[in-house]
Amino acid sequence: MNTPVLTTNALTKRYGRHTALDDATLDIPAGRIVGLVGPNGAGKSTLLALAAGLIRPSSGSIEVLGRTPAADAKQLARVGFVAQDTPVYAGLTVGDHLKLGEKLNPGWDPKIADARIRQVGLDLSKKAGRLSGGQKAQLALTLAAAKRPELLIFDEPVAALDPLARRAFLQNLMEFVADIDVSVILSSHLISDVERVCDHLIILAESHVQVAGDIDDLTTSHYRLIGPRGGLDDLPTGTDIISAEHTDRQTTLIVHAAGGSAPAGAEPIGLEDMVLTYLHRAEGIGAPTLQETRR
Amino acid sequence: MIWLTWRQMRAQTLWTAGLLAATAAYLLYLATDIRESYRLNVTDCTNACDDAAFILSNAYGTPLQLIGLLLLACPALIGAFWGAPLITRELETGTHRLVWSQSVTRKRWLAVKLVIVGGVSVAFTGALSLLLSWAAAPFDALVDSRFEPLTFAARDLTPFGYALLAFALGLTVGVLVRKTLVAMAVTLVAFLAFQVVIAAFVRPHFAEPVTETIAWVDANTIGNIDTFGIGPDGAGIQGFTIPGAWVLSDYIPVDKPDGTEVTEADIEACGTLKPDECIAAMDATFDVTYQPADRYWQFQWIELGIATGLSALLIGIAFWKIPRGLN
Repeated sequence: MNTPVLTTNALTKRYGRHTALDDATLDIPAGRIVGLVGPNGAGKSTLLALAAGLIRPSSGSIEVLGRTPAADAKQLARVGFVAQDTPVYAGLTVGDHLKLGEKLNPGWDPKIADARIRQVGLDLSKKAGRLSGGQKAQLALTLAAAKRPELLIFDEPVAALDPLARRAFLQNLMEFVADIDVSVILSSHLISDVERVCDHLIILAESHVQVAGDIDDLTTSHYRLIGPRGGLDDLPTGTDIISAEHTDRQTTLIVHAAGGSAPAGAEPIGLEDMVLTYLHRAEGIGAPTLQETRR
Repeated sequence: MIWLTWRQMRAQTLWTAGLLAATAAYLLYLATDIRESYRLNVTDCTNACDDAAFILSNAYGTPLQLIGLLLLACPALIGAFWGAPLITRELETGTHRLVWSQSVTRKRWLAVKLVIVGGVSVAFTGALSLLLSWAAAPFDALVDSRFEPLTFAARDLTPFGYALLAFALGLTVGVLVRKTLVAMAVTLVAFLAFQVVIAAFVRPHFAEPVTETIAWVDANTIGNIDTFGIGPDGAGIQGFTIPGAWVLSDYIPVDKPDGTEVTEADIEACGTLKPDECIAAMDATFDVTYQPADRYWQFQWIELGIATGLSALLIGIAFWKIPRGLN
């Protein structure tokens, strides 16, 4: 478990002239449940497809569990991937899908598969095309899980689900992850989902990685500072300003204190505020919104 | 992987097999009929035996031609309906991301699909071809026009190659264009174009054709003059048939021994003699360019080779492309 689950170096993917992912450098340790957040079109699916080996980088490098993604059958067996909208074969039954998983994966664990199918109450003889969104997601998760991977990758697993099904799915996922020793990377555009299940965070916006780290470290190193205008100019070294808002009399800063020592008067901010701050900053690249907020 | 491939192709294979069985049953009936007619008109023939070819041609030419057309359409349909959707349907439903995330590499996935679905395509088409060749054997022996484009492409080995090529074409076009309907259309058009081009422009040059100078008096012992005309531009043969051979000459001018063409004036000079006797009296000759009948199997093998070679090239492209990602 010491091999990092995901390491990328200047990873870039271009489609024609459009750059979907630009210069991403990441190092994700094993044993984490990683949340990948960002707005739609930020490059989340691209990063996950690269990790699953469905596509190849335009430049830069990526290693999953220490090896090139999808390099061979053995590497494929170590990674379970559930794509966006959880595709299943509409014409095949639930039972056919389990047989597919069994035939195509040497490490297939029928006990996990059967238990999960029973738990979520799927009818083996039902055509997958007739399942609800939540049931499809459960079937796809079962397929990915029963191959006993070391890493599970989910691309927006709950995006198509209603709030109730979403909660049930994530709950189910958490129980499952606790049962077997597996690292997880899941993407979502809902910060609340990520906050509930993840312990590591990657914020992706405008094709760039904004920040990545353990959620505990991130929340304890980001602060809001409020002070009189001009009174916050002397920050300790190692403190980065993520955003600054000014009114006539006071200044509000969101800062990242790398050293861990909070400046005087700093108050902690929640995960959601922190993520939004980074996303706003990303959108401001090229169009300095920070200047515009100056009144 | 074999199980999955079979599970996915089961329905289409079974109904195609049903159609094939129906055609086979009809061919069996036709084969018995042709053999009976052959016995009556050739083996046990007592009078007007020279008409046998004409009688059989009249009776069985059309049904055999129709099945031949079906056999020609078979590869094109397989290419469009089996080859093209093999990958595009997965891409359109997103299931490629499911199946390519199992512990099977994409190359292996493609290889199994190719061998099984492609193999069934070739087997079905080939079986139909062999059955038709067998059923039509007495007819072909009598009518002796195996180089006829529609006959050549619907007998013996050629359909095997066509089936493989059409399937490989559909598959690779699918990999490249990624849209089922576009891939099907491109496959149909490209394969049709291939069939026309090879029959019209390539097949005649598989081997250096033979050019033979035939004396007018021998014309109807060596072959058969379809039509002959005399006009202000001279005398010429429009269509000359040599049994079993493939005559490439279209319009054939008839020459006098000095090498100049027989003219209208030459024939008028003969006076009361019939034009045929008149030309014979001149010792006139004509040059026929053709592929001899004994090259039939050589040509069948060459055509199979070309189709197989092109298929290998197309399959190579698909195997090169697929690990590089199709998202």
